[in-house]
Amino acid sequence: MTTYAAPVGAPEPVEDDVVSMKQRLSGIVQIVHQRPQDISKRRWESALVFFGFTGAYTWFGYWLVVQMHVVGFEPLDRLNRALMIWHNDPAKLSALGFDYPPLATLLISPLAIFPSVASSLAVVPVASAVFAGLTMMSLNTLARRCLVAAPLRYGVLIALALNPLVALYAASGARQFVWISFVVMAMGAVVAWYVTADVRFVMLAGLAYSIAALAGYTSILWFVLTAFMIGAILARLGARGPEVEGTTVGFSAPTVYVIALWTVFNLILLSHPFEWVTAARDAGGSGPGSFTGVELLQDTWWLVLYAAPLAIIALPALIFVGASRNNPLATWLGLLLAAAIVAPAGSVLLGLSDSPMQMRNALPILVFAVIGCLWLARSADGSNLIVSGVLIVLLLASIPWTFHWMKDYRYQNLEAPFAAAISTRQSQEGTTTVPGAKVGIADEQAMADYIKDNISEPNSILTDNSQTYAVMLLTGQPRLFFDRVDQSDGPWLAAAQDPAGVVDYMLMSTDTSQDLLSQMYPSATTGSDPRLSVVFSTDRYVLLTVPTTFDPTATTDQTITSSTDGSTEGAGQ
Amino acid sequence: MTATVNGARVRLTDGVAPELARLLPEGICRTFRVMPYAVVDGTVLVAVADADDPITLQVVEERIDRPVQLVRHTTNEITDAIETVYPAVEGQIESSEERRGRVQMARMLTNSGLVTNDQLQMAMLEYSRTGDPLGDILVAHEAISEDVLVAALSEMYQMQRVGLSDFVPDMEIARRLPEPLAQSFQAIPVAATDDLVLLAVARPLDPEQAVAVEEALGSPFRQLLANRTELDQLIQRVHSAHYVEVSTVALLEARPEDSAHVVFTGGQKALGVCLLVAVVVCGVVWPMQTLIGVVAACSVLYLLVSFYKFQLTFRALGTHLEIDVTDQEIADLDERTLPVYTILVPLYKEAGVVRRLVQGINDLDYPRTRLDVKLLCEEDDTETIEMIRSLQLPPHFHLVVVPDALPKTKPKACNYGLQIATGDFCVIFDAEDRPDPDQLKKAYLAFQHVAGNVACVQAKLNHFNQDQNLLTAWFANEYSMHFELILPAMGAAGSPIPLGGTSNHFITSVLRELGAWDPFNVTEDADLGIRLHREGYRTAMIDSTTLEEANPNVPNWLRQRSRWIKGYFQTWLVHMRSPGALLRETGPRGFTSFNLTMANAFVLLLNPIFWGLTTLYVLTQWGFIRELFPGFVFYAASAMLFIGNFVFVYLNVAGSLQRGEFGITRTALLSPLYWGLMSWAAWKGAIQLFTNPFYWEKTEHGLDSGAH
Repeated sequence: MTTYAAPVGAPEPVEDDVVSMKQRLSGIVQIVHQRPQDISKRRWESALVFFGFTGAYTWFGYWLVVQMHVVGFEPLDRLNRALMIWHNDPAKLSALGFDYPPLATLLISPLAIFPSVASSLAVVPVASAVFAGLTMMSLNTLARRCLVAAPLRYGVLIALALNPLVALYAASGARQFVWISFVVMAMGAVVAWYVTADVRFVMLAGLAYSIAALAGYTSILWFVLTAFMIGAILARLGARGPEVEGTTVGFSAPTVYVIALWTVFNLILLSHPFEWVTAARDAGGSGPGSFTGVELLQDTWWLVLYAAPLAIIALPALIFVGASRNNPLATWLGLLLAAAIVAPAGSVLLGLSDSPMQMRNALPILVFAVIGCLWLARSADGSNLIVSGVLIVLLLASIPWTFHWMKDYRYQNLEAPFAAAISTRQSQEGTTTVPGAKVGIADEQAMADYIKDNISEPNSILTDNSQTYAVMLLTGQPRLFFDRVDQSDGPWLAAAQDPAGVVDYMLMSTDTSQDLLSQMYPSATTGSDPRLSVVFSTDRYVLLTVPTTFDPTATTDQTITSSTDGSTEGAGQ
Repeated sequence: MTATVNGARVRLTDGVAPELARLLPEGICRTFRVMPYAVVDGTVLVAVADADDPITLQVVEERIDRPVQLVRHTTNEITDAIETVYPAVEGQIESSEERRGRVQMARMLTNSGLVTNDQLQMAMLEYSRTGDPLGDILVAHEAISEDVLVAALSEMYQMQRVGLSDFVPDMEIARRLPEPLAQSFQAIPVAATDDLVLLAVARPLDPEQAVAVEEALGSPFRQLLANRTELDQLIQRVHSAHYVEVSTVALLEARPEDSAHVVFTGGQKALGVCLLVAVVVCGVVWPMQTLIGVVAACSVLYLLVSFYKFQLTFRALGTHLEIDVTDQEIADLDERTLPVYTILVPLYKEAGVVRRLVQGINDLDYPRTRLDVKLLCEEDDTETIEMIRSLQLPPHFHLVVVPDALPKTKPKACNYGLQIATGDFCVIFDAEDRPDPDQLKKAYLAFQHVAGNVACVQAKLNHFNQDQNLLTAWFANEYSMHFELILPAMGAAGSPIPLGGTSNHFITSVLRELGAWDPFNVTEDADLGIRLHREGYRTAMIDSTTLEEANPNVPNWLRQRSRWIKGYFQTWLVHMRSPGALLRETGPRGFTSFNLTMANAFVLLLNPIFWGLTTLYVLTQWGFIRELFPGFVFYAASAMLFIGNFVFVYLNVAGSLQRGEFGITRTALLSPLYWGLMSWAAWKGAIQLFTNPFYWEKTEHGLDSGAH
């Protein structure tokens, strides 16, 4: 900048305590008002990766779900809730419920705008494939920022995508990749921030974490650690207090807001602000189980060894590089990976999991290990190619290893049927999972088909939607059902106790352990309640008619009490 | 350490070492007739024509960070070497006659003790960069007065002088030279006989100008040198009636459809009444459905405005959308190519900030000799006028007294100043503004980088007193979001940009062609931005900031904001007089962007209603309110309540972070309280639109704690 000397004899300058922009920005560590040195945008490449992996997983998922019948009940439950948001009578946002993180359902709700699409099994894999595609797209950008050459980058993505655990959860509609995709997006932004010092990436990371937090509560753990990481790195770089505080506030605000909002909702609607933490559940959960400390350590080891062995190499490498090369991001990525490893055991200790030590808990471990290795590749400078190559080899080597252990790993969901379907190419309908659950949806489909063909009156079928969601979904017509969401639990219970004149039918599960209607009318589930005649039944469900002459006091005096939190208990007298 | 020798072993005629050839800039070489050409034992040998000149010695010494030895050479030897290293560009090289004049002026002033060596060195250096007349540079830097310069010029050119400070012109004679010629040549007839006109001129006219003047006067004339400031004041006085008329009615007469002199057209009134009647009739026949319809329409509007804003800001977060001008480009700028830049500064009752304003403008990194600063004062504001006069400012500052006439608005004052602007580019600054020193150069370079249809470059605005209180911090949060995220994204998308109140740089000719500002619109800047777009021009953003004073006082803030919002309503009504024409001229994207941007003012009106309904419902669970929000209306309203509101809070955070204002990040989290104030101002503005549409709510400045 050219400067002009003050002329001799010029008037005295006016005193001015205004701090100019240049002065204000001079003490700032991060890049502001400058174009940072960063990778160029390649939208076409991102789009290609996204659509490529989404398409591949959708295609694979269609084979897995529709032909092999390897389908979990959790995605069906969420899809039914999504369907109820749009097409219930009345349409209600409260169909989201409180037992799943709300965004895990809300984010897939666009898939349910058209009932015929939602009721088709083909939409199930899309519910996870889209997010798996997003994950791969974010990893690709992250790898580009880590200077991994294109062939190696694609090698890493393909090797990771072929991992059987990844493939199962990316293609079966499960919700894990919903939140993982946003965590990876956030981590990609954090790495970009570290590389470019551009504060905008902190904000993008904060926004991504806020979505992740309400799509999977586990991500809050990494959010908290990342907040500390940002503050610590800035302080280490010599940033002043306001910069550290402002940046951390900018990062944290979205996530803190969504958590606070959700807590307030819980307080207002369930009278318990932290119900979302303590009562989270999963359709098809295996139950909390009990573990000793040693067992938890052992199970953590097996989990990492069988499902994410890459972490065993990545963790010490990150810590070593962080300490020896003055590379704070490597250290922090190591800490984030360590948190992913101990998180499953931690949730057991805190009593926060209804499906402890599940194999799917290795997914974030695997993803964080890959992120860590990509950063190691960037940190390796001249050895970038070698590190990337080794990463691909390790990922490829773990494919048969993990596939083998999926067949009989103790804590699992659909891993064994998945492995069986891959090995035998035969439908898994009717087989059982390792924990003993029956695989398949033939019963649900048969019941749904019957209802679609024979019933058209809205709100004519009384049902406990928390147990019959799969049938409701497959009909594609939630308006046919008088469910617990329609008018909340109070009116529903009243109708359940005296259904005559309110509904024409009752749909209940033959399993009386969870279904409120089955608990109220246990004999009806076997067709032996004289007041209710069976119209149609399958092994899992029974549809009964409710005559206008139905006498609620005639043979049963079951009483149901409902708590305000939406969980309901049956108490026989 | 520097030594001077007459006969070194290595001579310039042996050739110039390539690494030394451009050690000194061309301007320095030509002005001081120097050329570094060899290194001997670590000492740089510099060929010099006048080895005894202490100024040359100091200039060379300061620019070469090695020991220097001055070696006397002939002028021809040095000139040849300079021509080899810096081939001459026609029109940019000082002629020998000009050089003689410069040297004569320098000698005259130094010999008479009117300038010191330091002042002369400063002026010579600036001359080496700009090539502007040495005398003008000395006057612009207040080393000598204009009267001294006029005396020196009169001596040099052997011309008579004329004093105009107390001159009472004969208007008939004074107006014999048409206003455009008077303005562009800075000349005015001051007396006349039957066969001769005495013409006061700022500088001797060149032959072409002289011919044009003689033709216009219809008789021979004699030139009298005058003080530029006095001459300028005289020209203004003589032609003030014309300037007032043009500044008030030019747009109204040329493009009545673009003028806000009428708030509602007949068609708009009819449409409004029809709509109202339809709603009332529906309300009577189907009360609940009508209310639901109104709520649904409002919710959809809310959702669209919010989504649009979010989309813009998210885009801006993802990339840098301002026109890129680097520090290096600014450093490399050849100042000889810089155009004259007009700075319009409207002032009203702001005598207290004039001194600071003058210093701020003098601090700009732009040759003062190429500045044309118009200090626009209202005739009744004698205090400010007297303050400016008392400072005896150099001639690049022009006091412009706008005669008292309605409407008494800032845009009218700017229109007045624009008519006498001499710059190729012009910019508006408010009196309390602190532009980045390199802003003019950045804007000039930006104009060179952008497409030919960009007629305006908007710099960013923010506040210097953001830490004063919560209100100023919120204001800074809001400006950060608006100028760091929203406007850059709108500029990059080619959408019509409602210009900020100051720091908008224009191509002067385009601005004049468009009819400049609408004096009847109280947000003339926003209106002009839309008009530019409709005419096919575009606005770009630059990454340069002007710091303003944020209003720290709630009543004062409400006055300012209500005026802005009233102006937005006015602007919307003006441009929607013919929606079809607007759609045709701006395209679907521009049309949508314009409406969604202006709809923001309507959303501010709706805010308290929706907040009230929500609060009432939470407190009473009133079923009537629930019925107003059935199904999808409820979803839209809920999305806005829980997601939209937070997104906007966070965009305030993001804007402040993007700007590097980390200290006010946390206050952004409280911005919903600020929205309450905005809604208050919106209602005030909306009511005033009907009761007092052209009233200009003046904002009081100088309320910051530092009272700058």
